[in-house]
Amino acid sequence: MTKILFRDKLDKCVKQWKSDGLTVIGPVQRANISTYAAVDHAAEFDFDLVLPDRSIKDLFFPQSEPMLRYTIKKESINTDECLPPSGPRIIFGARPCDASGMAIDDPLFGWDYKDEYWFQRRNESVIVTIACTKADDFCMCTSLKMAPDSSKGSDILLRPLAGNNGWQVEELTDRGREAFKTISDLLQESADTAASLAVVEKKFDLDACVAWLQNPENFESRFWKEISMRCIGCASCTYLCPTCHCFDIQDEGDTYTGIRRKNWDSCSFALFTMHTSGHNPRSTQSARWRQRIMHKFNYFPGKFSVNSCSGCGRCSRQCPVDMGITETLQEISTLSL
Amino acid sequence: MSIEEQYRTRAKELLSGGAVKMVIGYSKGSNASRRRPLFISSPDDVDRLVLDDACIQNLSGYLVSEGLLSDEKRVAVFLRPEGIRAINILAAESQLDAEQIVVFGFDVIGNEVQALKVIHVEEFSDVINSIKERAPEAAEEELFERIEKMSPKERFSFWQEEFSKCIKCYACRQACPMCYCRRCIVDSNQPQWVNTSSHTLGNFEWNIVRAFHLSGRCVECGNCDRACPVNIPLRLINHRMAEEVLGAFDHFAGTSKTQEPVLASFKKDDSETFIL
Repeated sequence: MTKILFRDKLDKCVKQWKSDGLTVIGPVQRANISTYAAVDHAAEFDFDLVLPDRSIKDLFFPQSEPMLRYTIKKESINTDECLPPSGPRIIFGARPCDASGMAIDDPLFGWDYKDEYWFQRRNESVIVTIACTKADDFCMCTSLKMAPDSSKGSDILLRPLAGNNGWQVEELTDRGREAFKTISDLLQESADTAASLAVVEKKFDLDACVAWLQNPENFESRFWKEISMRCIGCASCTYLCPTCHCFDIQDEGDTYTGIRRKNWDSCSFALFTMHTSGHNPRSTQSARWRQRIMHKFNYFPGKFSVNSCSGCGRCSRQCPVDMGITETLQEISTLSL
Repeated sequence: MSIEEQYRTRAKELLSGGAVKMVIGYSKGSNASRRRPLFISSPDDVDRLVLDDACIQNLSGYLVSEGLLSDEKRVAVFLRPEGIRAINILAAESQLDAEQIVVFGFDVIGNEVQALKVIHVEEFSDVINSIKERAPEAAEEELFERIEKMSPKERFSFWQEEFSKCIKCYACRQACPMCYCRRCIVDSNQPQWVNTSSHTLGNFEWNIVRAFHLSGRCVECGNCDRACPVNIPLRLINHRMAEEVLGAFDHFAGTSKTQEPVLASFKKDDSETFIL
């Protein structure tokens, strides 16, 4: 017997959570794009998506975030700090790759300066993840040593039932247990079995790739130029990535009044590393693509002991020129033989 | 012999004889329905070239990659008629010398790939004129007609919702053969002319600036629309602007390499008393 949440009870759960003061967020289709957004009713959820086009990152690290407002007068300068909008929320129906992406970024946002924007949202969010029973050509969690039912970063893990009429409930954290306490009457003990998990083919040998990347001789390899020749230098891969976290700080306004914002930035852009002098240490697209791969699989794990990739595959799925991490690491796998 | 085989043979000849230094075409992609750009400079690699109805990306933008044509050597490229129009515009705007481009022309009618049997850009005028004739029907789709029928207020909220999805990844710009500026206005940051934030204002600024810069220049290849990771129907904006320019100035972009850019040229007898 396992604890089960049946689908026909979900709308009541949504109501309950809302009356508990939680904002309920989940996978939806809106304006011709799938994303995680707030809902009023369970009917708005779309659980048939392999995964939403947009990652869960947007909910913790928005693309544009006000940091402070300023006014400058003759005698004084006034600043008003903007903190993230607070309020508890439950994200129902995250994918394991998205949930684990947030856990991957936690050490980054907390290692020297503790980013209050990130952690306030992290602390106020319950992540309820649904294990995957479907995958597409671009899913690659297994290549990253994760699985369609990885629980990393999740507070609750749900396994879809074979009858597709509900989920087995696995409570993982106190925060998850707390959120599910108020709906405990809506859960049932039952012997329903879980559906089989998605089969995600392993696409490359991660250890071999990492060893190749760590070899300093390969930094100047011809490989980087060849693999990135068709890269057009947009930020589609970085902005859809659940773990890419770079940002820029910009003041918008005039000399007297304005707002300071934290905006997403991307290592794909030439401007990203452009010095004031005009010199650019990453002056070619191949140097920029190398940086993205090195950062994810060499520098980041060197500092935080975890790869900065959760295997969602969005970079390859959405790339306008059919590039991505999968192809690059597949190629590196063959080079390192 | 299929067109694919003919073009492989020709690519091999051109590369072995040194007539071109590189062929830009398509290869297999990461799944059955995808094709990806391929750059080959050795005759041994021509078998990797693929040509079928899934070859839809306009490859002309790669020709203006920094330094590619500066040695004055020739480059061959697989192009559909829209790509050839793009070459004409790039030549008219002094971005490349059309003499350096060898065209592997093709078109896809239905599911069938047809060869365009000419090699130099100037020989394509008949093909391009025939596209001009069929241009008005090109974007006939339900959504376009629905937007046309909207009141200005409704249309504004339609685009407001679409632009609210914009994440300023600039995939539209990077995928566009006409967006060749070495430093785009939005990247000019001393001062920062255009907001980098992707809030409502920033997203409108970006998308409107781009629509205006493409008026009378866009060849409607669809690269931007397909590249957009958040599915903004950019083709509709560009098609609307192309219609305006065609109606107001009888200008169809990219008919020849000497065609004057419509919004960057003037005549003394223009009826307007001002220049924007």
